[in-house]
Amino acid sequence: MALETYSRDLIVLRKRFRWTFAIVIVCFAILVLRFFQLQILQGERYLTQSQANIVRVHDVPAYRGTMRDLKGRILASNRPSYEILLTPAFFDYEQDFETVCDFLSLGPAEREELARRYKEQEGLKAYQPMLAKENISRDELALFETHKMDLRGVQVAYHPIRVYPLGRVAAHTIGYLSEVKEEDIASFPERGYRPGDTLGRAGLERLYESILRGRRGWYKTIVDAKGVAMDQVDARNVVDGPLRKEPVPGKDITTTLDADLLRLIDRIFLGYPAGAAVVVDVHTGRILALYSKPAFDSTEMAAGLTRERLDEMNASPFHPWIDRTILADYFPGSAFKPFPAIAALESKTVGEHDSVNCPGFLEIGNRVFRCGGQHGLVDMAKAIAYSCNVYFYNLAVMVGMDRIAKYSRDYGFGERTGLGLPGEVPGFVPSREWYIFRKKVRFRPGYTMNMAIGQGNLKVTVLQLALAYAAIVNGGYLYYPQIVKSIEEPDGTPVQRFMPEVRRTVPLSPDTRRILIDAMQSVIEDPLGTAYGTAVEGVSIGGKTGTAQVARQKQKKGQEMRDFWYFSRDHAWFVAFAPVENPEIVVAVLVEHGGAGGKTAAPLATDIIGQYLKEMY
Amino acid sequence: MPLETQAKIRFDWFLPVIVLIISISGILNLYSAVQHVPEDRELYLTQVYWFAFGIVAAVVVATIDYRIFERYAYVLYVIGIVLLFAVLLFAREINGSKRWLEFGTFRLQPSELMKIFLIVALARYINRQPRVSKSLLADVGIMGLITLLPMLLVLKEPDLGTALMLLIIFVTTLFLYRLNLSSILISLGLLLAVAPFSWTYLFHDYQRQRIISYLNPDADILGASWHANQSVIAIGSGQVTGKGFMLSTQNRHEFLPAQSTDFPFPVWAEEQGFIGALFLIILYLVLILWALRIALRAKDRFAMVSAFGIANIFFWQAFLNIGMVSALVPVVGITLPLFSYGGSSILMALLGVGLLLNISMQTSE
Repeated sequence: MALETYSRDLIVLRKRFRWTFAIVIVCFAILVLRFFQLQILQGERYLTQSQANIVRVHDVPAYRGTMRDLKGRILASNRPSYEILLTPAFFDYEQDFETVCDFLSLGPAEREELARRYKEQEGLKAYQPMLAKENISRDELALFETHKMDLRGVQVAYHPIRVYPLGRVAAHTIGYLSEVKEEDIASFPERGYRPGDTLGRAGLERLYESILRGRRGWYKTIVDAKGVAMDQVDARNVVDGPLRKEPVPGKDITTTLDADLLRLIDRIFLGYPAGAAVVVDVHTGRILALYSKPAFDSTEMAAGLTRERLDEMNASPFHPWIDRTILADYFPGSAFKPFPAIAALESKTVGEHDSVNCPGFLEIGNRVFRCGGQHGLVDMAKAIAYSCNVYFYNLAVMVGMDRIAKYSRDYGFGERTGLGLPGEVPGFVPSREWYIFRKKVRFRPGYTMNMAIGQGNLKVTVLQLALAYAAIVNGGYLYYPQIVKSIEEPDGTPVQRFMPEVRRTVPLSPDTRRILIDAMQSVIEDPLGTAYGTAVEGVSIGGKTGTAQVARQKQKKGQEMRDFWYFSRDHAWFVAFAPVENPEIVVAVLVEHGGAGGKTAAPLATDIIGQYLKEMY
Repeated sequence: MPLETQAKIRFDWFLPVIVLIISISGILNLYSAVQHVPEDRELYLTQVYWFAFGIVAAVVVATIDYRIFERYAYVLYVIGIVLLFAVLLFAREINGSKRWLEFGTFRLQPSELMKIFLIVALARYINRQPRVSKSLLADVGIMGLITLLPMLLVLKEPDLGTALMLLIIFVTTLFLYRLNLSSILISLGLLLAVAPFSWTYLFHDYQRQRIISYLNPDADILGASWHANQSVIAIGSGQVTGKGFMLSTQNRHEFLPAQSTDFPFPVWAEEQGFIGALFLIILYLVLILWALRIALRAKDRFAMVSAFGIANIFFWQAFLNIGMVSALVPVVGITLPLFSYGGSSILMALLGVGLLLNISMQTSE
């Protein structure tokens, strides 16, 4: 082959190189543009992603504040709950699985379940610890602590859980924690709730949520692609900013409650399925006890109720969810009588010694209004001591509904006390206007007469009654009920102290006060008094009984006669104060379906006062 | 006209300098890439030994008259085929494929060498054809068969990436074959250049997955896209100046797969940043353009087709590997010549460089 042809051939071929140079340059220009895009235009984003790849942020839960009673005893605090975690990547299943199950004293079914979950985890998530058992006992914990050297891939972890030493006692007031729900997270974005967090669901736990909960902290670990933690020493080379943020523990709360008093009340209520008691410090409005029965167990609630327990509680005819001190209102019955009496005396409509003859009933038009007995000639003092309805019927007609209503409102009835606990009801004080314009009935004196004996349309809460009595015995100072005394840092440094606050000063003449106090002392000490025989040695007590009628019941289908009988009985009230000479505390007791106040409620109230003032005060 | 034998012998300094810079960068990068894996710490040393061996081999190849290679091209080709058969018969399966012949601690990957052997064989075939052939299709068919045999053997290993490279060598060699085919070949070349982009931008995910799983049923689609994603994160997070030598978090924390063989470039880009990446990309570009220049100046068809073929290997492997780690093209196992770890890969690249040097010293102008 001639060289010349060769060369000509090559010259033809060379023309094609123009294309190849161009294609190579274009392709490499594309690569450069791509790297420009990734490293310069989007570099920031990828840097963030590369950090997120290797940095795991772990929460450090904040220690929730402790709740104490006025003497520093614990009402709510935390204890660690221990759990056992297995990491399949490091765990020797063949050798150690049975040992771990034995240590945890798992039954055959539990073993099988754990083995199944273990096998699931083994593949992709082999480096993630999995829960073997939570809330292990101290003995189980000790076993793992002693053998932790022999068991690879086994980890003991803990998280704080909330405990309530009083259990069911004052559970409504103290409240409980439960896991946050979707809507909580949405409602309070500023609190930064996350799934798995807990929050105060009721009572003080809920009211003081933002103070008690503190702020969670975190720490960062450096991991590789499998999620295995790496040497933390060079973490600083990799992570910008701090590696750890300490949690801010929640603040502690000192309440005005008295744990011993609450336990005492609970003991005294033994045998009565449902009722409530409120104890108020007369001079400050501080609440020493808010007691409602039946109740749930806060610790059990915090751990999470089983379906069965929940159904059982929901089905209970005693409605354990309801806080009977503030969430329900009742007819006060005769326990209300001091307030129409004040209205009469203060407005000078009726004099102290104005008397009425009680034949046991009163006829108005064609209606007959009954009295508890035939009291004969009674004045104000006797009418209160014997709880004479006929006297108060006459008084009601003379004073009139609107005047009674005005004084009642002055003493705090018909409006929320301002305690602050969620769901408090205001009760109700009727008026002429209400009957005429809202109920659209022709106003009759009978309405006023029923109101004067605490029936009709009047409704009060146990707390309202206690505070109103306190206002009588302290000379007219209606206090805001105070349940939190102070807030402290975990180390005890005070943050805020709450002072008693007078809500309203009600004009109450010393004479009126004296008349009422004397009369209420007679309730217990006069042989004909409705609570005679309930006196306690060493303490002088005054008080007023109440027997509130219950709406007429119909026996429900399938309801046992015993239950029907129980739920048809009247509610028994007694509101007491002591000592009479210089009252310190007011105790309001409601025994649901307890029958006569003097028989059922009064002994409980005086018992509470007697033991409390003698043993604790 | 005087005879071509009087052509000046000039040593081409430019080519070895560029190759050396790329190689040193690769060894440094390899050192950084494997330090966190205790059993691989010494890997870079093995790489240095292979370079030493490869440089000796390249010098030998550069100094022998290339017409010797032309004469024995088919012998080399047959040796390559025999080695590939030997792989299928004797090789140990590693990670699901048989690729290496082992002689003690020495491991050879014949499919890498086959790239050079195929180029030389095709170059010889073209060289020996008359200038005006009557049977164009028959020629293309014969060259196709020469390519198909090793390709099938490599696919059987299986090694999709290398098989693809053999196919690319064949197709691009045709580019230089016949003038009257030019329009077809040019459009074919364009098509190949466009294919990777259409792959990324034209198809939907599920379509791509179907194609990949059709071509390679064992492909771990999820794993592959996860790796590609992590690779992009590595590159992007390097930003302009990089995180610094030995400080690639994506590599040290094991987010990059095969960081010494298929994915060494992201380590480089993460540690040296855009500046470092640009530096290397430009070096490769210059290397390839230089190789094309050598092909352009070749004084006969064999030299031209060989040099062009070697330029093609560098271009396609560099482009596909860098494109793959930056998620421009799908993940196929193609190494970055002179930069990736692997003795056979280095040997292949340096043999190619040796041949290029040889040809460049006997240029026509």
